[in-house]
Amino acid sequence: MNKLTQSRLLQFAAAFLFLQTLLITLSPAVRLRTGDVEYRFSQWLALFFWGLSVARAHYDITRKLPDADPYLFPAAAFISGWGLLTIWRLDPNFGLRQMVWFVISCTVLIAGTRLATIDFLHRYKYILLTSGLLLTTLTLLFGTNPSGNGPRLWLGCCDFYLQPSEPLKLLLVGFLAAYLADKLPSRLRTIHILYPTVILSGIVILLLVVQRDLGTASIFTALYTIIIYLATGRRRILLVALFLLAFVSIGGYYFVGIVHARVNSWLNPWNDPSGSSYQIVQSLIAIANGGVFGRGPGLGSPGFVPVAISDFIYAAIAEETGLLGTLGLLALMGLIVVRGLRAALRAPDLFRRILAAGISAYFGVQTILIVGGNLRLLPLTGVTLPFVSYGGSSLLTSFLALLVLLNISNHLDVDPAPLPKPQPYLIVSAFLALGLFAAALTNGWWSVIRDADLLTRSDNPRRVIEERFVPRGLLLDSSNTIINTNHGDIGSYSRDYRYVDLAPVTGYIDPIYGQAGLEDSLDEYLRGTKGNPASTLLWSNLLYGMNPKGLDVRLSLDLYLQNRADEMMIGHSGAVVLLNAKSGEIIVMASHPTFNPNHLIESGTKLLTDPQKPLINRATLGQYPLGSILKPFERAIKGNKSNNVNLTDIYNIFGLNQPPQIQLPVSPITAKDPKTIFHVSPLQIALASAALSNHGVIPAPRIAMAVNTPAEGWISLSALGKPIEAVQASAADEAASFYVVENQSYWQAISQIQEETSAYTWFIAGSPPNWQATPLVIVVILEENNVRLAERLGHELLVDAMHP
Amino acid sequence: MIAILVLVLRFALAIALYAFLGWILFTVWQELKQEGQILSAQKKPGIQIRARLENGKEIHHQFLQTDVTIGRDPNCDFPVIDEAISAHHARISYHHTQWWLEDLSSTNGTQMGNTQVSVPTVLISGDEFKCGNTIFSVRVEVVVE
Repeated sequence: MNKLTQSRLLQFAAAFLFLQTLLITLSPAVRLRTGDVEYRFSQWLALFFWGLSVARAHYDITRKLPDADPYLFPAAAFISGWGLLTIWRLDPNFGLRQMVWFVISCTVLIAGTRLATIDFLHRYKYILLTSGLLLTTLTLLFGTNPSGNGPRLWLGCCDFYLQPSEPLKLLLVGFLAAYLADKLPSRLRTIHILYPTVILSGIVILLLVVQRDLGTASIFTALYTIIIYLATGRRRILLVALFLLAFVSIGGYYFVGIVHARVNSWLNPWNDPSGSSYQIVQSLIAIANGGVFGRGPGLGSPGFVPVAISDFIYAAIAEETGLLGTLGLLALMGLIVVRGLRAALRAPDLFRRILAAGISAYFGVQTILIVGGNLRLLPLTGVTLPFVSYGGSSLLTSFLALLVLLNISNHLDVDPAPLPKPQPYLIVSAFLALGLFAAALTNGWWSVIRDADLLTRSDNPRRVIEERFVPRGLLLDSSNTIINTNHGDIGSYSRDYRYVDLAPVTGYIDPIYGQAGLEDSLDEYLRGTKGNPASTLLWSNLLYGMNPKGLDVRLSLDLYLQNRADEMMIGHSGAVVLLNAKSGEIIVMASHPTFNPNHLIESGTKLLTDPQKPLINRATLGQYPLGSILKPFERAIKGNKSNNVNLTDIYNIFGLNQPPQIQLPVSPITAKDPKTIFHVSPLQIALASAALSNHGVIPAPRIAMAVNTPAEGWISLSALGKPIEAVQASAADEAASFYVVENQSYWQAISQIQEETSAYTWFIAGSPPNWQATPLVIVVILEENNVRLAERLGHELLVDAMHP
Repeated sequence: MIAILVLVLRFALAIALYAFLGWILFTVWQELKQEGQILSAQKKPGIQIRARLENGKEIHHQFLQTDVTIGRDPNCDFPVIDEAISAHHARISYHHTQWWLEDLSSTNGTQMGNTQVSVPTVLISGDEFKCGNTIFSVRVEVVVE
């Protein structure tokens, strides 16, 4: 019966691991969306050795320990194989090492099944504990860290390292079980029995604190408390432990730097997501990316989480197998704990009972601690996930503990030892179950409820990956000429900016410098998250873990006129805006100096600090003093009367007191400085001027005209704002006519401003009221005293636009 | 195409994981069912207790339960009117496939043969014991499995 159950369970585990291996093999084809790729085969080696070791161990367990619990070994073999393949998928070098350790651990387990009894643990308790302590002390003197830096908790050399604090956990549990089993029946007062263990455990914990292995120290404390509570049944012990825990954590928070940092990054991870809480934020993003179904083995990007193979392997598994996978993983862990506690209750003597309960608590507590740390349920402690995480000492210790549990559970024919108080066992198992349940709930919270918030964070590196794999939508001008496109192949797409001088307007998208301009404001369309049918989005995310192809956006810009403006602006600072006064479409928007976004990687840092500020779109973000440029607007308000018009009135009437509503970053009207309070952007002046050429109505500005959706073709995008009737049509017409220049077919105004250190030249012009074709206005601002250039530029561009 | 295959395999992966857990539930349920069947299959043998009072009057009862108390108290399973018997005098119970006689710290004690019953004692068919002035004899029915 046992044998059958165990072999059937191992078959299911093998099926799971086989599928996982196969999926990792196929994953490159899904990533690159073609069958013509290099498939990954190396991890089949891991599966092969897993199968071999597990088959042999199964054979020996069913033969030598026929009455052992049939669930313990399959569950442990399952999750250690799962961990092994996950590690291999992340880094085949570490995977190979873990495979060797897995084979060693299984060999030890197989050899251990030959032991008829584990009484020697009972007899040689002091020798075992002393040797464990000695090894741990040795790390103080000769400790190293295989990865080069960090706490030096390992012993060894020549690529073979052992972390003595891992087996020490098991030895301490064994010692406590043996000691308590000897002393408890002696009816001494509890305190007399306990004080030697308090001293001993105190030494162990102190040793670990000195080594800065706080995770292991907290596990020891928890295990010690649980074991003493189980053995004595005094609830007071839990209270004392809770009090001590509060005391130590508050003390640690204020006096120990590392505790302070850990607790802070636990309580407020969002304050410093790139520094102290980088790990936890990246872990949560990975978990959110997994969602419910996961990205599939080999298809996520868990490598972005630091130390994904050991401390954060839970996050890696969550990303690739989703909530479905992690719930299963937690259930398997819970199964091991429950079956261990069952073996404890059915144990034939007190020593075995406390030992089995202690080992189950060790699995449970360590799992809750590290999974809770990954999920921000608990502060982060760098301990391993038993059976799953990378680490030879941890894996071997877990298998030794498993061996002890198997041995203890193999006594069905003997009556269990009497149990004076069953309550402590109930409370401890409820506590461990609650911990695992809380972890499952928190996992659901991050991967189902908060997933969108986490995934759209700018520090989610998966967005950059997606940019390389999914073609971004194109930016086109009004006659569908490409402005921004992509070059490269799938897996190496990068943005190609064809019309470089528009860079301050169209912006850029870059893994380091983020995104700006239209590339930022139209990101949802260009990335394909908006405009695609929901079913396409869902299907694409399910299949590839990425959004579908981005949508092309057509702008109102005219590259021919734009080019003319840019050519004349070369070498000058300032901005040009040419506007369709009726529809609000922006035909030309130039900002100089400009930059080349194709070379952002080389020149990015220089651009950020450039005093000329080439990254700024001067047309919408520039704030310029006005001088006498408001004359035409003043006339439109007061007509030919001579009374003065308040400057504030002009602002209010022509909408200069509010930011234009457009898919571009505009400067907010928050300037409190009286010196700059009346400064405005060229776009604002262009919109105000449009009222003069458009019979008093300020149009709503537009730059993104249409988006090419797969379902319905080009769909026009409406303006964000609404047209405003600023002045009466007759007043606007009168003012425009008044400023029409002799020999020219348009009205115009010029203003020169000379400040202490800077000079500005404004030129505004527009089609006259009687213009039959499309009404147009142009605004030129130069950051120098150069009326000739401003006038020539405005004249040529406007005439060209009026007479195409 | 390969992406759809991978999607199917991913579902199979989840199924394998939950098949593992499901099989555990199944076997645990089976074990439960089996244990229940074993327990219900265990036939409790009935017991006949005959009491011969001091005045020579005889009463006898047939019990199907596994726990019988004897005493003067009318709430006892086998109430006996005898001044020398305590309110709850003795218990006869079935466990570990035997009937056991146990004295409930009665004032005058329970005697079996010539010895005082101080620890639970196994009863077999035909045994006699004495509580107060009353002599009890038991007849255990044979269980045929």
